[in-house]
Amino acid sequence: MLKLIGVEAFYGKIKALHGVSLEVPHGKLVCILGANGAGKTTILKTVSGILEPETGTIHFDQQRIDGMDPEDIVGLGVGHVPENRHIFPELTVYENLIMGGFLINDKAILEERLESAYHRFPVLQDRSRQLAGTLSGGEQQMLAISRALMLQPKLLLLDEPSLGLSPLLVQEIFDTIEELHRSGVTILLVEQNINQALRIADYGYVLTSGKIFLSGTYEELRREEKVREMYLGEGKYVRRARLWGM
Amino acid sequence: MTETFGGLTQEVVSGIALGCIYALIALGFTLIYKATEVVNFAQGELMMVGAYVNFFFVSALLEVPLLNGVWAFIIALVGAVAFAVLFGAFLDLIINRPLKDEPVFSVIMATISLAIILRAVMAVIAGPMTRIPPSPFGSSVITFGGVAISTLDMFIILSAVVLVMVFYFFFNRTKWGIAMKATSEDPMAAHLVGIPVKKVYRNVWIFSMVVATIGGVLLAPRTLLDTHMGFLGLKAFPAAVLGGFGSIPGAIVGGVIMGVIETVSMGTLSFHFPWVKEINDIIVWIVLIAVLMIRPAGILGHEEVDRV
Ligand SMILES: Nc1ncnc2c1ncn2[C@@H]1O[C@H](COP(=O)(O)OP(=O)(O)O)[C@@H](O)[C@H]1O
Ligand SMILES: [Mg+2]
Repeated sequence: MLKLIGVEAFYGKIKALHGVSLEVPHGKLVCILGANGAGKTTILKTVSGILEPETGTIHFDQQRIDGMDPEDIVGLGVGHVPENRHIFPELTVYENLIMGGFLINDKAILEERLESAYHRFPVLQDRSRQLAGTLSGGEQQMLAISRALMLQPKLLLLDEPSLGLSPLLVQEIFDTIEELHRSGVTILLVEQNINQALRIADYGYVLTSGKIFLSGTYEELRREEKVREMYLGEGKYVRRARLWGM
Repeated sequence: MTETFGGLTQEVVSGIALGCIYALIALGFTLIYKATEVVNFAQGELMMVGAYVNFFFVSALLEVPLLNGVWAFIIALVGAVAFAVLFGAFLDLIINRPLKDEPVFSVIMATISLAIILRAVMAVIAGPMTRIPPSPFGSSVITFGGVAISTLDMFIILSAVVLVMVFYFFFNRTKWGIAMKATSEDPMAAHLVGIPVKKVYRNVWIFSMVVATIGGVLLAPRTLLDTHMGFLGLKAFPAAVLGGFGSIPGAIVGGVIMGVIETVSMGTLSFHFPWVKEINDIIVWIVLIAVLMIRPAGILGHEEVDRV
């Protein structure tokens, strides 16, 4: 469904992605893992068209999408829940959802999607007239996810949805992700919360400094000593020199 | 005593009318700034261009036999607004698109250049002399309990109120209006939900040009039409800052306050305190500094420091 081949991307002169290739098959939940600054967010930005790759190709549903305008990519069925939520703080919860459905022209469909958003997270209905900036972190994340779901995307990009949330809320968010996955939405998930993420993911990619370093299923990645050291907290203490990248 | 009171009331109404025009210019200016972060120093010149285009239409239409005068004004206004739509889209193309993410300094230079070019071009087209635009109301007045108020001023205030109500509806009840607010809050998120951000920016410039044109059309009969009338647009800055930079209600409040202060200081205050005459030109700036000392974010502004 989604396929990146040799994607390189820059911020000005800084190269953030050094030839990333990855694939998200239809109906699967694929996870990207990696330390801060590895380039996870950048991958998602190139997919949704916020950042144009310098080289390489991105295909979605057999169609080449790199170089397209973000609104056209969204229109094809790619939903993106960005890192740090990026809700519209000075719009009401209701207006945020309406903006999520900007591309819907049929009023009845819009109403229906609004209903299902309120059904999924009733707290959003309770707060529908409130400015989104006044919501708690967890509620904002629910709003960000619901906003992206207004268009019923075929592929959902989720960038660290559990960041900064209490364990209880993390659980709720992951339950929602699993439920979406079960209902047939293809998902590309970026997470630091690796135990949770790999438990629900079908496949994982490990990214270091803009390159894919490892990939495999949960079981395969678990067996990799490096992954255990780096992420699963099971490793031996790293030699100081390695800590400083020497 | 009643004499002074009547005079003062007239001045206040006249000041509100003038302030409404400042408010319209400040509104267009704030809109562009909020949405695209472009500080448009040519906002006053956009008003000047709109006023001239309307004047050309009116002059041509009044020549047409059988055309009733009022209709000439209405058709001319429609023509001027249509021109504003096209011209706003054109400005988006030549100013906003190429310069949007460039350093602030380049953008400021570009809009200052635009202002100078528009003045020069209009001077070539319209000639150097000052024109006296015909007003549909002549110099008629309406009398309320002994206080005579110019019909034109009443019309200006009424138009501004209607216009602000239309804006309010647009920004709070329509999809494209909310999308404009969303885009100015967070362009990246706007992209991600599928809002066609480039079209929104174009609409912002169109909107701003239309507001400026209406401001110019309303202002021209009060002052005179000349290519330097855009300097009045410089007063959009203190108006915008006074109300709270980047705040749309603030631009309106700031504009009206400025108009009233200016008119009253030139009239009653100067009459009673002759020294006020000496500082007439700077009185709004003094008030501006005083307000900013008490409320640095402006009257209706948020305490948001990072942007300004
Ligand atoms: N807007 C930006 N401008 C310049 N450099 C950036 C920008 N965003 C990210 N980077 C750099 O690109 C690299 C990858 O960043 P990012 O994709 O955000 O990593 P991650 O999401 O894995 O933490 C980092 O080195 C970061 O410093
Ligand atoms: Mg990131």
